[in-house]
Amino acid sequence: MKKIIIPLLVILIVACKPTLPSDYDTAGTVPAIFPDYTDITIPSNIAPMNFLIEEQADAYLTELTSESGQVVIKGNTVSIPKSKWARITKSQEITVRVYCRKDSKWIAYKPFKMSISDEIDPYISYRIIPVAVESYEKLTIRQRNLTNYSEKVVVSNSMIQNNAQGTCINCHYYKNWDTDNMMFHVRHYKGGTILVLDGKLHKVNMKTDSTISAGVYPSWHPTHDYIALSNNKTHQSVHAASHDKLEVIDEENDIILYNTRDNTVSVIENDSSELECFPGWSADGRTLYYVSAHYEAPFGPDRKNQIFIDREKLHFSLYSKPFDPDTRTWGAKELIYDAQAVDSSMTWPRVSPDGRWMVCCVSTHGIFPLDQIASDFVIYDLKDNSYRYADEINSRFAESYHCWSSNGKWIMFSTRREDGVHTRLYFSHIDGNGHFTKPFALPQRNPEFNREFLYAFNIPEFMKEPVHITPRQFASFISSTDATPSKYESKKGE
Amino acid sequence: MLSLGQFHTRTHTCDTNVHMTPVSNNKSKGLYGNILRLLPYILALLLWAVLALRGQIFLKKVEDLSLFLFDWLYFREYIQIPGGLLGVAGSFLTQFLYLPWLGSILWVLLLLITYQLTVRVLRIPEQYRALAIIPAALLVIGNMSLGYGVFIMREQDHFFAPLLGYLAALIPISGIYRVEKVWGKMILLAIWTAVGFPLFGTFALIGTLSAACTAFTATDMLRKNRIGLFLTGVALIILIPVIIYNFYTSYRLADSWHLGLPSISEDVWTHAIRAPFQLALLFIPVMTIASRWLKESGKTLTLQTAVFVISVASVWGFWFKDENFRTELAMSEAVDRFDWQKVIDIYQKTVDSHTESDAKAYAARSKALSGVKSQEELTEILGIYDKRFFEPTRTMILYRDLALLKMNRALDEAFTMKDGGRMQKSRTQIPMALQSGKQLYLQYGLVNMSYRWCLEDVIEHNWSYSTIKYMAMHSVIMQESDFARKYLNKLEKTVFYRQWAKEQGKLAADSVLMASNEPYKSILPYMCFENRMTNDLVKSETFLMRHFSEPEPPHPSPEYDRAGLLWAMRMQDIPSFWQHLYSYLQTNNVRELPRSVQEAALLYSSLEKKSTDLPLSKAVRDSYNAFNQYVNANPVRDIRESAYPFSRKFGNTFFYFYYFIRDLQTY
Repeated sequence: MKKIIIPLLVILIVACKPTLPSDYDTAGTVPAIFPDYTDITIPSNIAPMNFLIEEQADAYLTELTSESGQVVIKGNTVSIPKSKWARITKSQEITVRVYCRKDSKWIAYKPFKMSISDEIDPYISYRIIPVAVESYEKLTIRQRNLTNYSEKVVVSNSMIQNNAQGTCINCHYYKNWDTDNMMFHVRHYKGGTILVLDGKLHKVNMKTDSTISAGVYPSWHPTHDYIALSNNKTHQSVHAASHDKLEVIDEENDIILYNTRDNTVSVIENDSSELECFPGWSADGRTLYYVSAHYEAPFGPDRKNQIFIDREKLHFSLYSKPFDPDTRTWGAKELIYDAQAVDSSMTWPRVSPDGRWMVCCVSTHGIFPLDQIASDFVIYDLKDNSYRYADEINSRFAESYHCWSSNGKWIMFSTRREDGVHTRLYFSHIDGNGHFTKPFALPQRNPEFNREFLYAFNIPEFMKEPVHITPRQFASFISSTDATPSKYESKKGE
Repeated sequence: MLSLGQFHTRTHTCDTNVHMTPVSNNKSKGLYGNILRLLPYILALLLWAVLALRGQIFLKKVEDLSLFLFDWLYFREYIQIPGGLLGVAGSFLTQFLYLPWLGSILWVLLLLITYQLTVRVLRIPEQYRALAIIPAALLVIGNMSLGYGVFIMREQDHFFAPLLGYLAALIPISGIYRVEKVWGKMILLAIWTAVGFPLFGTFALIGTLSAACTAFTATDMLRKNRIGLFLTGVALIILIPVIIYNFYTSYRLADSWHLGLPSISEDVWTHAIRAPFQLALLFIPVMTIASRWLKESGKTLTLQTAVFVISVASVWGFWFKDENFRTELAMSEAVDRFDWQKVIDIYQKTVDSHTESDAKAYAARSKALSGVKSQEELTEILGIYDKRFFEPTRTMILYRDLALLKMNRALDEAFTMKDGGRMQKSRTQIPMALQSGKQLYLQYGLVNMSYRWCLEDVIEHNWSYSTIKYMAMHSVIMQESDFARKYLNKLEKTVFYRQWAKEQGKLAADSVLMASNEPYKSILPYMCFENRMTNDLVKSETFLMRHFSEPEPPHPSPEYDRAGLLWAMRMQDIPSFWQHLYSYLQTNNVRELPRSVQEAALLYSSLEKKSTDLPLSKAVRDSYNAFNQYVNANPVRDIRESAYPFSRKFGNTFFYFYYFIRDLQTY
């Protein structure tokens, strides 16, 4: 019996293995595929870059070749087995050639390349959020293993809130990509800032009588126990008639320094005629970058409405402020980018780990690039403070939140380039001259995932390892612990 | 005929033929007994007829607010919570309510199966089988008493899922009778609970409890085995959800014991909504135990008759029959089809149907008011009788005005029809923005505001056919083709909206084609206003008033100015009226002012003690004089008292609207 079955199985396997056509016409273009993975640079440890061939045809074959091997995939959904992907990514470059059979005739499309470059941090985390306005019932912070497709929940709203009282979780952040030192905020029901310090959970309330709100957008000091955070009084409103649907505006903004060691808050900037936001440390932690817009309107119930009317006059400029982490003393602020002068607005300064580059969002006005189609990235060379628009990664839709990998070779950012509304995660490699490669979408097992998924990705962050605290531990801690009030120390931390 | 002793002995053997057949009793087999046996089927037929004739508009709304997709991501979202399989199955069946006659057949058939299996699995003796109608009746009440709650249900599968869950809960009871050994029964319970809880949620736990309760009826088991079996069931109900919680990240541990039951975002109402379903489920363990004491002898015809009568009366009593609710749903459905004449017809039919009852209410009130002297007494009586008069809700008025505007008849007819502001007959007022915001805003060209309410709806209650359709329409009208594609792709994965999605796909890619097709053709003229930041503060009507009171856009369309004038007249604000009348005359080629506009102009110029050079007809002037004379002859001591007699004479005039339709509450 074995004598029959084994040869039969061998024949079956050989027969099933797709063979490339020997007779075909060639097309002068690369095929239409989704996501667009043509001629990109990818990390050597990334999950298989599955894609969908969008050419109309009767049959499809895709050949992926590199010096270390060859894979042939049948069908218009190119799902690459992990073991084969691991083999072909051992070399410097993968060449992909797509063959389509139309009317009994095979067409070979122009091959495209996937260049293989530096490794990337194996984990990322992000918030999954409905593209909502005010409600926030279904929020999760999730972590994804970039070397495969495994995705797990880090913390989930629905494990905390009850039927009548909602919770919002936001702004997760890690100290030096280390998940043993991380934070995120819980708003409203069971609210507070959740801090993980050396793996231990804490819940604090950073709102003090002397500050306008609890901490919001964070930046963890790279060497010391400080977190710089913005204070925001945030509102949002709907555009009556515009492709930009929402406008998020802060009625007031300040910047504070939180000391994780003694749970104290001190003010960094709180000029009442300035809206200061988005702190970002330099790589050595001796400079704090932030943005600020000059705005004067009486404080009171009408200020909120007035600031919405004045929204197009809000131009956030970029500043730097020297800091001595040992003595916790601040120097005088310095204007780096005068947004008022060029009628634009700069937000989210984030410096590369080697301290050389800084990427920011630039838009026409306001503080929230996510909801502005015009938002693009600029890259600063901090050697001479020169900047340019990073057009190689910008799109016609909004580019917003971005972060650097721990080795400084990759940038991950959120963008609405696919449909104008749903934020998706893209990656790009940066070379020594500050040039980015063509960005590519986070690979998914189902290449149509981004099209099908009706939620948005938000606040992507790289991590060197997964978050070890389980969602149940987070939920139980948040539900059972009252926030410890932070102490207000002294103005400007002096 | 079996004796009671035989019944109890034989139920615990492995002879399934005996077990699954209810014991017959010839005593109940008279003509009346046969009628009682047939009654559940007659009632089912009656229920179907009522649903198909009177309930179809509600069923259609249930379907509209649900979603089933042949889509892995959709399935994944459901199975992220225990009871998810019921959700998928419930949503699958709910889609057939698109054709209410078909969906209701499926629902009624499932109710009949519920009845049959309740009899068989719970071993209800034949002369008590009427008791099995109780859970079916409770399941009907659970859904048909929802009323406005349908707009805020968190689960979209609430129509079918509890029914399927009830049936699932019967499975372990059926199974446990087939196992003889006590340890076998325990293993069966453990397997059922561990597998059933992720699939059926709370319903599986009820199944476990009920199966464990068979210990009370198992007279052939040793006492310690009976206690052991029961305690095993109880332990499983407590432990399995705690263990399984560790595999999920989508709910709180405290919620484990009611997963799969319907809920809304308000605790008190949630308890009320769940109560019928919980009682239906409670019936299973109670009847499992009680079957032991149901004797086969004795006359039960009276009892059975009483059960039927009480069940039917309860269903009818709890059935939400509010006329305004039904009218709102029907008007909403017509708005979705852009059938504007139908919107008006539905409204007018409801108004007309109350002519007689209003007259009776007026007669009764007049009688009660005769001899009333003090203001307190007057107010009290007016309050008592107020609810006897028909009054439309604001949602009905807004739908009606919208339809009239779309047909360019609003300024002629809006103030000739009955107006008012009856609050919803609901535990909590459902904001108009949530109920109909996406429709009203889109039709008035406020696309982003409509989009916003779709999103709020999604967060609160999940995606539905309705939200996806409206979000697709937003993207089509804004010509955001990639965005539109996303939603249209979803609808292409449905049974009943596939064709609609394909047609919209063509419009998404062609702005000229879009602009010449409904609903876009009649929405685009309203989109002439300049962009600004807006927030409706969850009050749609006041927001629309504010929107149309904003400064005139640079290039207003005739439609926009007609709406602006209508809203100005609704505001009863004199300067605003003159301002909008001026704009209206600029963009609309008016030969003769609409009658209501003439009436407003005459009234306002009279109130301002100014003469007007607007061309006002003699009929309007005569009507105003008659109105004034009537006022002088019939002094008004309370608007509510005089509204009805005045409305009979002047209810079709702006004068009446100005003086009598006041202090309305919007929501």
